[in-house]
Amino acid sequence: MLELLSVEWLKIRKYRTFWALCILFGVLLLMVNMLVSQGIMKMGNSDFNVLSRNYTFPEVWGNVAFWTKIFSGLLAIIIIILTTNEYQFRTNRQNVIDGWNRMQFYHAKWGLLVVLSAVVTVYTFLVGIFLAFYHGSSSNHMFEHLDSIFYIFLLSLNYFGFALMLSLVFRRSGMTIIMFLLYAYVIEQIANGLLNSRNPSKPGNFLPMQCSAELIHFPLTESISKMLGGGGPSHIYLAIASGVWIVIYYVVGRVMLLKTDW
Amino acid sequence: MSLSAILSIRSISKSYGAIQALKGVSFDVPEGCVYGVLGPNGSGKTTLLGIILDVLQANGGSYQWFGGVANDASRKQIGSLLETPNFYHYLSAYDNLAVTAKIRGKGDTDRNAVLGQVGLLERKDSKFQTFSLGMKQRLAIGAALLGGPRVLVFDEPTNGLDPAGIAEIRELILKLNREGITIIIASHLLDEIEKVCTHVAILKRGTLLLNGPVNEVLVNEDQVEVMAQDMAGLKNALQAMPGIVKMTNRERFLMLTCDKGIETFHVNDYCIKKGIVLTHLAMKRKSLEAKFMELTN
Repeated sequence: MLELLSVEWLKIRKYRTFWALCILFGVLLLMVNMLVSQGIMKMGNSDFNVLSRNYTFPEVWGNVAFWTKIFSGLLAIIIIILTTNEYQFRTNRQNVIDGWNRMQFYHAKWGLLVVLSAVVTVYTFLVGIFLAFYHGSSSNHMFEHLDSIFYIFLLSLNYFGFALMLSLVFRRSGMTIIMFLLYAYVIEQIANGLLNSRNPSKPGNFLPMQCSAELIHFPLTESISKMLGGGGPSHIYLAIASGVWIVIYYVVGRVMLLKTDW
Repeated sequence: MSLSAILSIRSISKSYGAIQALKGVSFDVPEGCVYGVLGPNGSGKTTLLGIILDVLQANGGSYQWFGGVANDASRKQIGSLLETPNFYHYLSAYDNLAVTAKIRGKGDTDRNAVLGQVGLLERKDSKFQTFSLGMKQRLAIGAALLGGPRVLVFDEPTNGLDPAGIAEIRELILKLNREGITIIIASHLLDEIEKVCTHVAILKRGTLLLNGPVNEVLVNEDQVEVMAQDMAGLKNALQAMPGIVKMTNRERFLMLTCDKGIETFHVNDYCIKKGIVLTHLAMKRKSLEAKFMELTN
């Protein structure tokens, strides 16, 4: 796997678009969290602000995880560009001609997804630590509620895996990005609404991206929903569903790569 | 030169929907040869190369490299240029070769050497997207040479090159072949193929029409050009000559297709006896182009 990853590294090392999107993600995440914690970025009328300004341990984890969830779509776009580039430049064929088999090509991409998800997770963790100490939090409750950070890893892998699968289906960057956004912001929202409105067990929460998104709530609404006694499936089931979807993306992509011409 | 097969192709078939691109193609490529795969556009040349390089899936048949080495491992010993030069547009020539070398697993220390061989050393730090078609083609040939391959597979290697570039690539192919590298080359540029190939396979609409060593495939196909002051008389006289299979009118001379054993002096002798003085007499080996046109039309 390290051999495969070292080839992927050679591909992205000098790719400006990749680094530009990564830096944009990094800066946005830090900046928005900073602005929210300072009360500069608000949501609500005049003095009322629904955004949580509690950036001390352990509440900080829920806050930073939420904003990472919001911006992770940006990184899914990177995955789409990196994968569809291979089709556009026909370098997927060249990689195979040069001696990889198709599975090595595929696993190199999955390796990249896992590493990128890990980097996002670690970065979110570091932003959380930085902001908590910046706001004078003591380290007493530092390691409580770290599950949000683990969920970020799961969510990233889910979103990136979905993006990879779509890239293998549509092969063109513009088309894939449109389909990704259309699914994430329209199709799944509608399906989720339809499924949940008619069934109290909320099956819509198990939809491909929704199951991971449900793991990380809007910080304030989480406390409200707790007060109301909660609703919908528990986190353990949502985490399992996320894992199942990731496996499905992997299997669908694998079958497609093995069956089709390149 | 060993005559053992470096590649064996057995009954390979491939269809794209209703269109059958390859129909049970079989042949062997002997080690050390320059093997030309010829055919008009759409005859299945590129499809065949795509299959033996594992980017296309055959519907039937099989192939074997190096007497049975696993396909992934064998491809690491094969340098290939298939259809178009495929590189990362945003990387320089030098960085692109690093990717190729890493996948081949043979180290990247000969990157400057191969760039020198294909005349790109001065542009090694330029991005691929700034290259002309000819330069892209050269880079692809350079990439194929990385790590000292045993076999080179080239699909239309002179695409986009100017006449000087074409001659350079021809010389390079001959030089590499002298060093012992087996070369498989698909092209519709018959002149080019004729200048370098030791073996040919001719495809038409997915069917293998013939294959074998060039001097066997083109054997007994010699032609004689003749010209005289009285062309009508010459034609009449030659119609009765034994051993003449076919006579074709060309612009200024007659082209004779003869049986084996008929040499120029036989023709000359016959004409003198008939009282005809030839003003032009030349033996022409039947060109690959003529053979190709005959077979594919």
